Amino acid sequence: MTAVTVSSANFRTALVRMSVSAGLLIVAALVVSIPWLSTFAVQRLLVEVFTLFAVALAWNLLAGYGGLVAIGLHVFVGVGAYSLFALSNELHLNPFLLLPAAAVFAAVFAAVSAWPMFRLSGAYFAVGTWVLAEMMRILTLNSPSLGAGGGMPLEAMSDIDRWTRNAGVYWAALLVGVGSLVVSRQVLRGSLGLALMSVRDSEPAALASGVPVARAKIALWVLCAVISGLAGAVSYMNTLQVTPDASFSLNWTAAAIFIAVLGGIGTLEGPIVGTIVYFLLRETFAGYGAWYFIGVGLLAILTMVTAPGGAVSLIPEKWRLDPFRIRRRMAGSDLDRSASFPQT
Amino acid sequence: MQIAAETLLNGLMLGALYALFGLGLSLSVGVMRMINIAHGDLIVVGAYLTSVVMSEAGIGALTALLVVIPVMFALGWILQIILFNRVVGKDALAPLLLTFGLSIVLQNVLQEMFTADTRSLQAGDLAGLGFNVLGVSIGVLPLLSALASIALLGATHWLVGHTHFGRQARAVSDDPGTARLVGVNDRRLFGIVTGLIFSMIGVAAVLYALRTPFSPTAGPERLLYSFEAVVLGGLGNIWGTLFGGLVIGIAQLFGAKIASGLGPFFGHLAFLVALLARPQGLFGKASS
Repeated sequence: MTAVTVSSANFRTALVRMSVSAGLLIVAALVVSIPWLSTFAVQRLLVEVFTLFAVALAWNLLAGYGGLVAIGLHVFVGVGAYSLFALSNELHLNPFLLLPAAAVFAAVFAAVSAWPMFRLSGAYFAVGTWVLAEMMRILTLNSPSLGAGGGMPLEAMSDIDRWTRNAGVYWAALLVGVGSLVVSRQVLRGSLGLALMSVRDSEPAALASGVPVARAKIALWVLCAVISGLAGAVSYMNTLQVTPDASFSLNWTAAAIFIAVLGGIGTLEGPIVGTIVYFLLRETFAGYGAWYFIGVGLLAILTMVTAPGGAVSLIPEKWRLDPFRIRRRMAGSDLDRSASFPQT
Repeated sequence: MQIAAETLLNGLMLGALYALFGLGLSLSVGVMRMINIAHGDLIVVGAYLTSVVMSEAGIGALTALLVVIPVMFALGWILQIILFNRVVGKDALAPLLLTFGLSIVLQNVLQEMFTADTRSLQAGDLAGLGFNVLGVSIGVLPLLSALASIALLGATHWLVGHTHFGRQARAVSDDPGTARLVGVNDRRLFGIVTGLIFSMIGVAAVLYALRTPFSPTAGPERLLYSFEAVVLGGLGNIWGTLFGGLVIGIAQLFGAKIASGLGPFFGHLAFLVALLARPQGLFGKASS
């Protein structure tokens, strides 16, 4: 290879990089200025898209990287939403300022619930978290101070005019959606991500190599609780009313599972693809009521049987992009393997 | 005192039914290492099936079992052969997600066929019968259902422990590879096991529907009670499952006495507390 071709290749990569960044910048500017460009209905739908994406991402992180399948992930959606509503109504504070508090509540709840939940593993953990979510649902359903079955409105929101309120909730949802993706990527690229992937591939081997398995799993559990809790808080700021049956509802986790299964468990691209497919299906077929859910369920079953890796796995390996650069490859893996062993 | 005794007895009888719910789950975990998330929804399917058979044929609930049990067996066998066998034996994730999808499908098919309204089975003459022992009133129907549950648990215990079929099932459970080497056809065995599990679900469904109204969305709660009975009792221990079911039943009914809406909450709480005290279950052997 001559020096000329190398530099022209470099030039071409630089050009590609620059046009990709320019494209991303334009998309980002468009997405941020949605409140000026579209109707309230579009904004509300996008809030749903971003919050559900965040919950699906959290579910996918737990299942795909931590080996922690949680059917009760919706418990954090409810805890996040209820802590935001209760704090804002009690303290008469702007709910946007209380979003960090909702995150703290979800984190503390996750840390405490890890104590009984992490005594279970595999499928038992999955159903155990569901028990936890049911307990919280029944508890809020029977708490008059939290509005019992009727739930409670977000009183402080009535002081804010309609445009600002809708735009604010939209930006908050955008922040939660994009923020959770960025944080997940950073975490997966860091030492926690390496620890988690080693646990996923072989827990005994990870333990034997000195990976702090339990600590890594709890850290992931708390992170995913914060993501889901924030998503729940923002999502119910959108509807201005939180009820036990809606916020502690299995529907949240069911949608997250569907998105993750369809898109591809154990990837960051999977939930993005899955969320797009999910909302396309929902907006097109939701009018069919029960038949829509039957179709969605059958599609999930079909995916598990025929392509357990989801939509992402259908793309052939050599064409698969790694837009988040989280995959780890063995250096020089195209060379003869024996050459990489240390020779003494 | 009388109320406490009555609550305790009712809790025990309810708990025996929960143990029967859990029995199918316990077998499926024990033999196939698989938790069927649609387990509760299948109980509800059995209840609707019985209701249809009763009204079409004009027969009582117990006679309807003669139809319900074979139909449920066939349904279980078919589902295992065409669907579950494709994912069983790999990791825990695939069967879990597959049956989760099945659960959503079943709930919505039931809703489409029978609307979201609640139904109940007519128990006929048995419904109002009861008798008094030392001032404590006992319903004949709950007592019969509890006795039937215990009898089925006993029969399953014998089947697993003392028959050729049971030995095959235990062999596959311990080491599928070696079992296959010595001539056990595990896929066919799984078909029969799931058929049996579904038959038990059919019986559990009738006993459940005779005492409680049901609706298409009643399944997940049944699954959670079954699951709690199995984990609380210790995995793979049938009499442990009975004990687990009894604990959940008693906790629920005493909880409902404290605050009427909190019955199931106290059932779940008992499960969590027991889990913290003995993670391997009350009768389980400590692992590692």
